[in-house]
Amino acid sequence: MARIGVFVCHCGSNIAGTVNIAQVMAAAQTMPLVTFVADNKYSCSEIGQTAIREAILKQKLERVVIAACSPQMHEATFRKTVAQAGLNPYLLEIANIREHCSWVHSNDKAAATKKAIELVKMAVAKVARHEALFTKEIGLTKKALVIGGGISGIQAALDMANAGYPVILVEREPTIGGRMAQLDKTFPTLDCSSCILTPKMVEVAQHPNITLLTYAEVKSVRGFVGNFEVEILQRARKVDASKCTSCGICWQKCPEKIPAEFNLGLGPRAAIYTPFPQAVPNIPSIDLAHCRYIKYQEFVARGEEGKKPPQCRICERLCPPQAIDWEQSDQVLVEKVGAIVVATGYQTFDHTRYGEFGAGRYPDVITGIQLERLLSASGPTEGEVVRPSDGTHPKTVVFVSCVGSRDERMGRAYCSNVCCMYMAKQAILLKEHDPEVQSYIFYIDIRAGGKGYEEFIRRAQEEARAIYLRGRISHIYQDGKKLIVRGEDSLLGRPVEIAADLVVLATGIEPSAGAKELAQSLNISYDAHGFMVEAHPKLRPVESRTEGIFLAGTAIAPNDIPGCVAQGSAAAVKALAVLSRPSLVSDPMVAIVDPLRCTGCFACQRACAFNAIDSQVTRDGKTIAVVNESLCKGCGLCVSACRGVAMNLKGFSQQQLLAEVNALWR
Amino acid sequence: MNQAIRDKAKELLASGAVSCVIGYDVGSDGINARPFFAYTEEEADGLAFDQTCTHNLVKYLIDRAGKATAIVVKPCDARALTVLINEKQVKREEVFIIGAVCHGIIESTWGQKGSDLQGRCQTCTQHTPLVYDLLVGEPMAEPTPKAPLDHRAATLANMSVAERAAFWAEQFQRCLRCNACRQVCPGCYCAECFVDQLDPEWVGIRIDLPEKWLWNTIRAFHLAGRCVGCDECQRVCPVNIPLGLLNHKLEEEVATLFDFRPGVKADVPAPLETFKKDEKLGIGE
Repeated sequence: MARIGVFVCHCGSNIAGTVNIAQVMAAAQTMPLVTFVADNKYSCSEIGQTAIREAILKQKLERVVIAACSPQMHEATFRKTVAQAGLNPYLLEIANIREHCSWVHSNDKAAATKKAIELVKMAVAKVARHEALFTKEIGLTKKALVIGGGISGIQAALDMANAGYPVILVEREPTIGGRMAQLDKTFPTLDCSSCILTPKMVEVAQHPNITLLTYAEVKSVRGFVGNFEVEILQRARKVDASKCTSCGICWQKCPEKIPAEFNLGLGPRAAIYTPFPQAVPNIPSIDLAHCRYIKYQEFVARGEEGKKPPQCRICERLCPPQAIDWEQSDQVLVEKVGAIVVATGYQTFDHTRYGEFGAGRYPDVITGIQLERLLSASGPTEGEVVRPSDGTHPKTVVFVSCVGSRDERMGRAYCSNVCCMYMAKQAILLKEHDPEVQSYIFYIDIRAGGKGYEEFIRRAQEEARAIYLRGRISHIYQDGKKLIVRGEDSLLGRPVEIAADLVVLATGIEPSAGAKELAQSLNISYDAHGFMVEAHPKLRPVESRTEGIFLAGTAIAPNDIPGCVAQGSAAAVKALAVLSRPSLVSDPMVAIVDPLRCTGCFACQRACAFNAIDSQVTRDGKTIAVVNESLCKGCGLCVSACRGVAMNLKGFSQQQLLAEVNALWR
Repeated sequence: MNQAIRDKAKELLASGAVSCVIGYDVGSDGINARPFFAYTEEEADGLAFDQTCTHNLVKYLIDRAGKATAIVVKPCDARALTVLINEKQVKREEVFIIGAVCHGIIESTWGQKGSDLQGRCQTCTQHTPLVYDLLVGEPMAEPTPKAPLDHRAATLANMSVAERAAFWAEQFQRCLRCNACRQVCPGCYCAECFVDQLDPEWVGIRIDLPEKWLWNTIRAFHLAGRCVGCDECQRVCPVNIPLGLLNHKLEEEVATLFDFRPGVKADVPAPLETFKKDEKLGIGE
């Protein structure tokens, strides 16, 4: 018979303030097989753990129940504690009398105490049926994958590569650089975005440890920490990168012009293009949706009647090294990696949803990121700020904050974190570009919590003479050449009307398109908006809940550049902590098949989300299920799918769970 | 029809394509059909099919795994066979399916032929099996769906939870735990049924209402999304528990929630053993 020890934790007053510890201890004394009961002020402290270890040795305990906080918090801690006293670490059960009990029933102490006793009773019944479990060592691929080539992903890739590990950096766009590449200057120092970003982009391209895949997307991820298998779709550029010299003749001569995405439609680009001059890699791609020759080929393939479109092929004819390759096709690459950093970044809120602001109807109502392109020396106007409608220089500029942020109507309760600061920055830059410019900034609150941020807002107010008006805008309409902005100054309680030349909407941040789908294929969670969820918002801010998958940048939440870079480095360190281990330890709490009960219906295989069920043929010729322990996550779906109870979950066996339920009725 | 079955059976046995033909012959009362296994051409002369062929024979195929077999199936049996094929208990390539056009099975007792169709056949929507290698009998237009015959189905649906519980308590109270329902059910092929397991002991050995209740409801849940409604369990129940009511209710629930009827399509897994992202059923959203 097993000797069971029960340790009840006070957790300071977290538990003891609600649950009557003495009563729980007295009840535990009477539970079957319990030979020792003790309490601890803080079980997780050094003193508490030592007390548990000493009790195990002195009382010859064979199983341990610790009634304390959630196993998510300290199960790993206490497994080590009991192991140090010579017990198998899996002969431990945690009764969660904090999150499941004292915290949620703080208004009813008697009921909380009763529930705590029942939780302990269940844990005792379960641990009595625990079996010793043993981990296995498994190998790992010492290579990392970074998804997203913005500043967060670049930082993570460089840090890991500099630590000596090979990294694959996958970027969906034809170039790395992300949103930061579109910015003119950065707050609060006003250093030029390109000047600090471009060297890092070049470093990525030249780094011997980094394999850069642009114009590529992660299609699927299988496997587990240390042993992921990733399918990457490499889209065809139709340009042979080994021949191209980036001379630029092709995109200069291409006759097809379309609005450039990089400049948010403020200028044209060709059908063969690089998004911007400093693109890395500086290899152009042919935009299949707009290339004339591709359109011609499609026309011919459809076999339609009528006039054929022109064949064009000017780029091919003019390319000095003959790098145009029409035969190039999409390819699927399969890579093995040990850790993954997800840095999929953001896109801006669709401001046209605010019909009252006239965005999309009035050309001179633009977004913050469009203004960045107008301010940028490499932008469509080479840094000359002009109105998109008539090319004149705006003198009165109105900024509207919280467009798609802090607005429940739009389903966006959250603050986008950067808009207050970039509005101030843009007001300063506008004044630098043209001293006659007067900026008005409509705000709800000014959020300037970062280092040097509040001072920067003062600078916008005092040096750039930006006028801050607290209030929301109700309406914007065109009156001749002017845009009439109507709103309320809520401090004065008076309506305001400003005749503006340019209106800038500070559009909020939302997760990139496709981020949810990627999160699904990675089996990581995301919130209602599609931002990735951290393993712990404070203590594990760059880890996902899936081991081996880490998060960085605005994929988690709106963040500014310093924050994103810090997260990129942090995620890199977390990934390196996986990659630098000699081997990984498998979790022994996995499913197991009873071959005598299995009928080979394979309901388990259909239920398994991790492809962890294989088949095997027994000596008598029966085909039955078998668990691939390295893929199994121990979720138990197969167990519930199995009618014949041939599946069981080690550490959460049917016997153990039923014992818990039965204990409640005794 | 009988001749077509016999001819095919003889041909298959003679060529060695199959080593057994499972079908029906006339029972010893001279009226009711009974399951019949023909291993030789001579035995095949005994095969017959009529409106007393109530048994669902497909469960016999599980024990003939690895041996090529021909089987006579009605439309409902054919669906049960598809379930077994989907659940990898029967290999399609090992079975030659003789599908019989079915006009419905009549209610009859030992030595006495009845005149009314069985309840399940009165509401049945199929005369022709969905899957077969050879079809015997004249194909006919499929009947239109009818409301369930058993008036208790509608009554039950309108009852309060407490009233329904009282109804089933009365029904299950009669259960002898003889397991005839399980033995006859094509969906019940577990190596060791949960009710027989001792570790853990899911259902106690006592023959009393709580255990009877557990047994019957767990079995019904194990059949949800798998039961084809052949009502064999109800037919063999010695104490006339209306198990069909329970199974049909779950069949309708599954059809409403998942747009799924068991045994209609090959290679479509039962909804309760799969997860689709769009199947949220209003939970948690």
